[in-house]
Amino acid sequence: MNDPTPGTPTSTTVVEPGHEVVQPSADDFRSARQLPVEEGWYKRAVFYEVLVRAFADSDRDGFGDLRGLTDKLDYLAWLGVDCLWLPPFYDSPLRDGGYDIRDYRKVLPEFGTVEDFVEFLDQAHARGIRVITDLVMNHTSDQHVWFQESRRDPEGPFGDFYVWSDDGSEYSDARIIFVDTETSNWTWDSVRGQFFWHRFFSHQPDLNFDNPAVCEAMIDALRFWLDLGIDGFRLDAVPYLFEREGTNGENLPETHQFLKRCRKVVDDEYPGRILLAEANQWPADVVEYYGDPETGGDECHMAFHFPLMPRIFMAVRRESRFPISEILAQTPEIPRNAQWGIFLRNHDELTLEMVTDDERDYMYAEYAKDPRMKANIGIRRRLAPLLDNDRNQLELFTALLLSLPGSPVIYYGDEIGMGDNIWLGDRDGVRSPMQWTPDRNAGFSSCDPGRLNLPIVMDPVYGYQAVNVEAQSNSSASLLHWNRRMMEIRRQHPAFGLGDFHELGGSNSSVLSYIRQTVDAEGHRDVVLCVNNMSRFPQPVELDLIAWKDWTLTELTGGVPFPAIGELSYLLTLPGHGFYWFSIQPAQER
Amino acid sequence: MTAPVLDALLPDLTAWLPAQRWFAAKDRTIAAVRFVGHQEVTPADAIPAVEHAVIAVSFTDGGSEETFQLLLGTRPRIPGDLEHAVIGQVGDRTVYDGLADGEISRLLLSMIVSDTAVGSLRFVPEPGIEAPVVGPGRPLLGEQSNSSVIYGERAIMKLFRRATPGLNPDLELHRALGRERSQEVAPLLGAIEGVLPGDDGALPMTVAMLQSYAANSADGWSMALTSVRDLLAEGDLRPDEVGGDFAGEASRLGKTVASVHIELARGLGTDRLGPDGVAAVADWMRDRLDRAAEAVEVVAAQRTEIARVLDGVREVEGLFVQRVHGDLHLGQTLRTPRGWLAIDFEGEPSRPLHDRIRPDSPLRDVAAMLRSFDYAAFHQLAEWETGAEAPAYLQRRAQEWADRNRSAFCDGYAEIAGSDPRDQLAVLRAYELDKAVYEVLYETRNRPNWLAIPLRSMARLVGDTAGSEGS
Repeated sequence: MNDPTPGTPTSTTVVEPGHEVVQPSADDFRSARQLPVEEGWYKRAVFYEVLVRAFADSDRDGFGDLRGLTDKLDYLAWLGVDCLWLPPFYDSPLRDGGYDIRDYRKVLPEFGTVEDFVEFLDQAHARGIRVITDLVMNHTSDQHVWFQESRRDPEGPFGDFYVWSDDGSEYSDARIIFVDTETSNWTWDSVRGQFFWHRFFSHQPDLNFDNPAVCEAMIDALRFWLDLGIDGFRLDAVPYLFEREGTNGENLPETHQFLKRCRKVVDDEYPGRILLAEANQWPADVVEYYGDPETGGDECHMAFHFPLMPRIFMAVRRESRFPISEILAQTPEIPRNAQWGIFLRNHDELTLEMVTDDERDYMYAEYAKDPRMKANIGIRRRLAPLLDNDRNQLELFTALLLSLPGSPVIYYGDEIGMGDNIWLGDRDGVRSPMQWTPDRNAGFSSCDPGRLNLPIVMDPVYGYQAVNVEAQSNSSASLLHWNRRMMEIRRQHPAFGLGDFHELGGSNSSVLSYIRQTVDAEGHRDVVLCVNNMSRFPQPVELDLIAWKDWTLTELTGGVPFPAIGELSYLLTLPGHGFYWFSIQPAQER
Repeated sequence: MTAPVLDALLPDLTAWLPAQRWFAAKDRTIAAVRFVGHQEVTPADAIPAVEHAVIAVSFTDGGSEETFQLLLGTRPRIPGDLEHAVIGQVGDRTVYDGLADGEISRLLLSMIVSDTAVGSLRFVPEPGIEAPVVGPGRPLLGEQSNSSVIYGERAIMKLFRRATPGLNPDLELHRALGRERSQEVAPLLGAIEGVLPGDDGALPMTVAMLQSYAANSADGWSMALTSVRDLLAEGDLRPDEVGGDFAGEASRLGKTVASVHIELARGLGTDRLGPDGVAAVADWMRDRLDRAAEAVEVVAAQRTEIARVLDGVREVEGLFVQRVHGDLHLGQTLRTPRGWLAIDFEGEPSRPLHDRIRPDSPLRDVAAMLRSFDYAAFHQLAEWETGAEAPAYLQRRAQEWADRNRSAFCDGYAEIAGSDPRDQLAVLRAYELDKAVYEVLYETRNRPNWLAIPLRSMARLVGDTAGSEGS
């Protein structure tokens, strides 16, 4: 245990005589052991998104919890993930999966306590695994004490914490994001007699970042968890912090200013910790969230690359590399210390905001054959059912995820090919309990099955008796073992995480080929060639590798040497949905 | 090299020529080769030395001569990686195909970039372009009629192998499109221009052109075949239901072609043919029909019906004409990560230059693309098993693919052009049938397995004159 940095004092706000709002300090708790500060660790890491609620239940209440998750850390260490991303575990009325935070300094009682979290973090660090978590800065739950005070007393210390309006006519250029449920970004509050502003659900009022006290309060919430030892935050819904008339209220300069301030706190007080932006925007806009390239980046360390993911699906269905080539060609350079986060699936739907209307119709037709598979502007399905449980495609998609530029984020359960349950409401269909064993409740919980928070998937193809960790651990040919091996190979080659990306093209439009290349401080060059067949049919491809003439290729999963690169195009043949990873080395090094 | 020195190369050259892919007269026996012009690019004792030469080849069949351009490199000692390009030995020097030599391609590029003239050769950069970084080039393999060198995925230089007098339409149209800031072609960067000595004195000639290289591109023909393959493997799904649907690309292609037409019209003007001009177009189609009918029985048998459709052109009240691509098909399109490009604006290489640069209806290009979609749809079935007819349901699927993509192409074209090519159905049909008749002749002579493709289209175009366009 190390000493917490100077840290956050307990915050006590007197809202009226005899009535105080008290927020605890990190000093009230012990803090977790720290991993050594390792510059750029996030660029080489494989992230794993785990829903506490759905992973393991230690106390038989039907809810996964932090102690359950702690028990499963050995599995995650065996799998080979470097960093866990936990969606919000804060106290919440759970009307939006915990993204509606009721108290920034308290753990949802079903999940455990702050002490349980510190123990989990400590145990994760003991295994070399880092942990980041979601922080929702844009809004709170309407049950947060700040909002309760704000609506009760407009003149009080929290009166100006939210965005209030007498007639709700302002900021009409801002789009409505949750078109399925919301009709306006303003909702009437009968207690205060005013409208409040919300970019998401009407039970999630937006905080007023024009109020300096809100900025301070949010930075103190960051400090609280950083003091306890957390390795960073995924900043949820980050483009919407400020509102300005005549704008769409996204990506405003004021928002970037505030993020720069957060980054400075992290850099000065908590070196080695990271900020990851969730900005569901086009890459050309998202790069703004990395900040000034001159400084190597002075806002977020990482940001998600949203449009890449639907295009991977589209490319394979079209048997053409161009959907991917196009989006990567439109992706700008990012600052030196920045990194993309890329993913195939996560706890949200497969978002289709970043594709054209035509492409969206096409994606619905291809991947959401039942209307229930759609949600907002997206598709709510897990990876395996999206791909008809086709092992070749699962491997191809994962190989792309692990080799395209960016740090991959794996969604819990996808490593064993879990299925979904489209009959559950909203996005719960992809949030069913982790399938550990073929036993009762899939080994997730020993509670009465009727008590489970969400039902276990039980269909004949994806059900827990067919798909579970225990069975796949025992079979070396399983998807689980395959995923683990691929992550291991990725770890051995820094080019995957750090390398430049250069698409090779080639005459065959069904084949996506690229070079990842990096040179370390000692001048050692790591060059990896990835060749992916988007088609279900076998394909030949001729690659222009003349820049590496006389170098040799070694296939990475088996170490088999391939013929040296000569004067002519390099000919490869790939099976349907096949892929190759090669290391390219100067002849004398072998 | 002096003329006598060059003449010493002739026996080796005569042996070397028929093995070159660009040598377009492989079925004819060479009677004699002679140099009709040559120009040293470097001093003859440079290492390597470069010389531009034009040769005339006559044939034992007594038919017309063909003229070709060569870029000869010479070195006293030949490095191993150039041995495959050697033509012969002259005195103490080995002569080889200069484009194979990275040092020579580097020299040519630097001469273009720095705006140089040597004797009758002029190396000219396009005004206002960003000059490519000078480096050695690498020969592109697998080309048919010309020879190209690629400079580090940045630029590509194409040496026109046929020596023809006049400005090559490929260069001419790329210049015009460059002035229009076209996004639909790879930007022109420069050219090498020379003169062709002839009986009437020296005429200007295009030696080579330098363009931006469309990195990471794939040609439309192979992409269309990928889509068809995906469909035919499915069997029970329609073209709009399979993952490999091409209609989106076909529509974007239509937009690209329409944009090219608009830019060419803006840059080089349009004209409206009166009755005489229209009659000339129709007569020209009639000539092609007569030639095909002489050679192919099935064309002769339907000559009257075909002529009636071709005469659809005569019925229009004036025909808008402009410079067009002239030889458009899916293989002349490139899909890049930024969209589609049209390439190779030379026109049909077998036609004389004055024919190729004659303004024509843009519907000629549209019809040619429609023909190309038919070819793509039925290509796999034609290759299926020689002799055996592909199952009827697959033929139906292929036809549906052709219909869907032809229609999508026209939709895309109409969106940009402002008028739908199908509004001028009689003209479009005439152009399409004209092309199909030519294809029947060509396939009969060259690729009998593919004959069924244009035959089928010919029957359709002749058959339902009253009906709607099949798309």
